[in-house]
Amino acid sequence: MNIADFLVNALLFPGGLFAVLLGLFLTGLDRKIYARLQRRVGPPIYQPCIDVVKLSQKEMVIPKTANYTAFRLAPLLGFAGMLAATAIIPVAGIYSGLYQSGDLLVVLYLLSAPALALVIGASASGSPYSSIGLSREISIMLAYEVPLLLVFFTIAMRVGMALGGTAIFSLSSIVNFQLSHGSLLFDVTLLPAFVAFLICIPGTLGVVPFDIPEAETEITEGPLLEYSGMGLAMFKLTGGLKMLVLAALTVALFFPVGFGDFWLVNLVWFIFKCILVMFFTTTLIRAMQARMRIDQAYKFYLLVPTALALVSLVLTATSFRVG
Amino acid sequence: MAEFLQSIVKRSPWIYRINAGSCNGCDVEMATTALIPRYDVERLGCRYCGSPKHADIVLISGPVTAVVREKVLRVYDEIPNPKVVVAVGICPISGGVFRESYSIASQLDAYIPVDVNVPGCPPRPQAIIDGIAMAIEIWRKKF
Amino acid sequence: MIRFFKVILKNIIQGPSTIKYPFEDSPAPEKLRGKIVHNADACVACHLCEYVCAGGAIKMQESEDHQGIDFVVWHDTCTFCGLCEYYCPTKAIHLTNDYHTAHVQADKYNYVEKTFVKKQPCICCGEPMVPISPAMVEQIYGQEGDIRGLSKMCPQCRRKILWKGGVSKS
Repeated sequence: MNIADFLVNALLFPGGLFAVLLGLFLTGLDRKIYARLQRRVGPPIYQPCIDVVKLSQKEMVIPKTANYTAFRLAPLLGFAGMLAATAIIPVAGIYSGLYQSGDLLVVLYLLSAPALALVIGASASGSPYSSIGLSREISIMLAYEVPLLLVFFTIAMRVGMALGGTAIFSLSSIVNFQLSHGSLLFDVTLLPAFVAFLICIPGTLGVVPFDIPEAETEITEGPLLEYSGMGLAMFKLTGGLKMLVLAALTVALFFPVGFGDFWLVNLVWFIFKCILVMFFTTTLIRAMQARMRIDQAYKFYLLVPTALALVSLVLTATSFRVG
Repeated sequence: MAEFLQSIVKRSPWIYRINAGSCNGCDVEMATTALIPRYDVERLGCRYCGSPKHADIVLISGPVTAVVREKVLRVYDEIPNPKVVVAVGICPISGGVFRESYSIASQLDAYIPVDVNVPGCPPRPQAIIDGIAMAIEIWRKKF
Repeated sequence: MIRFFKVILKNIIQGPSTIKYPFEDSPAPEKLRGKIVHNADACVACHLCEYVCAGGAIKMQESEDHQGIDFVVWHDTCTFCGLCEYYCPTKAIHLTNDYHTAHVQADKYNYVEKTFVKKQPCICCGEPMVPISPAMVEQIYGQEGDIRGLSKMCPQCRRKILWKGGVSKS
């Protein structure tokens, strides 16, 4: 891979600028649909872009008690992690990932980057509300990582065993396997894993039933409390990117199959699938559910999605042992 | 460039409300403007935010009582520039029915530069939206 | 969960119920208590409104040149309770349904309803006095109208006339 290709892929399309804009578009669409579900008109779809422009023009207040370096650099950490993730996840028919051996486990690590950035920023800000928020962020992160890892492992095993080997954690291999053998979504043994993955998405994004770390009405946005101006804009961008990464990951893991070879058709189809994932995991749940308590969310994640993922894992393993 | 920026920025004012000893009447009306589908301020790009650090437009309700005055000033100082203050209800504007009470030092504009007044006890949600629209016009000229 | 889903479906089908307020007018109910209007012609300057005003918004003062009475309502301290309208004997004060009360800080002390109740000389002695309004006359005497021009006399002259001739209708 030459340098020019690398730069274009990482900075313009599909990573970098394009991913940021698509992420913001998804966030705006989410807010619009959410408003419509509540019989409101809602903000325009380009609202998050305006928010980011405005926040970048505002003064950045840094608290006296804050650790200056950590406070300023934490938003960058999360943003960089998410940008790297967008460059790694392949999109069928358009982009084959930055590295051909692009690894699922790397994505899992990168997915925790925004949460870690929040934790670092919150602990550096020195606000009591932030510290409550960060302890909640860590608990919920511990809870959703377990089923997420199990789902990844199940898929890796499924693909690896079908190819006659051990588990394959390479994302591009998983996508290529599905392009030749059909989507994993239609595999009955993987259905529980799919549901478990969908349940993990709202927790990772921190939206309503699981927005306990950032509870606006309760601990006044928790870890984000002390951030203003550019720092907050970075966190908003990271949030949009996170939504895109999770949607793209769902698409890549379960139904990456597109139409033909023409890239534009594939791109539109990919965006449509992302919107579908976003609607069912974020918007609909957000409109229907109230916020859980942290202990309820913790128990929920360690019971329901974990059990579903385990069922899927056992089913996959046994089906290949017998067959 | 500045004009272009102003035309963009005016679509994203974030709102923060401070209760300076209010009876909650005005707070209920402010919550109504945000939450009831009929008055939805989110279509103007507004968002009620929980933290003063995120705010652009501050809605203050209540006569500034002697006890709460220091806290109001502290929270006001935490809001990053540029910011605009809207006094909602007659209490912060003039003291209202609590004027000359032992627990009230002075009206709001003795401590904080107020930009827009929305009198009423409490004002109608439409009047609050009017006030927010006026505040946006003042606020965007500060960029 | 299913019930919430039903509600959401209904919401999508019904569409948004938001009024486009700042961009289109939103009519107010007839009995809404909004900005105060004062009709100086009907006012008899009895100071009752000033007395009952909860927020201390109404001020009635003799003007500096003693030609009449200044009537001022400062909307920025008015609670829109409607007591003044309720107690006004001639219904000179009226709370309209105009709720557009927002204004910029520069207008704070100008945001008033200001009228001037002009004094007229008494038809007997020439002393300046506030004439009794037609509304008040009708309330006192019913449909017969102003009897012997009593409404244009100062209280002293009125008392004299009444002591001399009583209130017979002749």
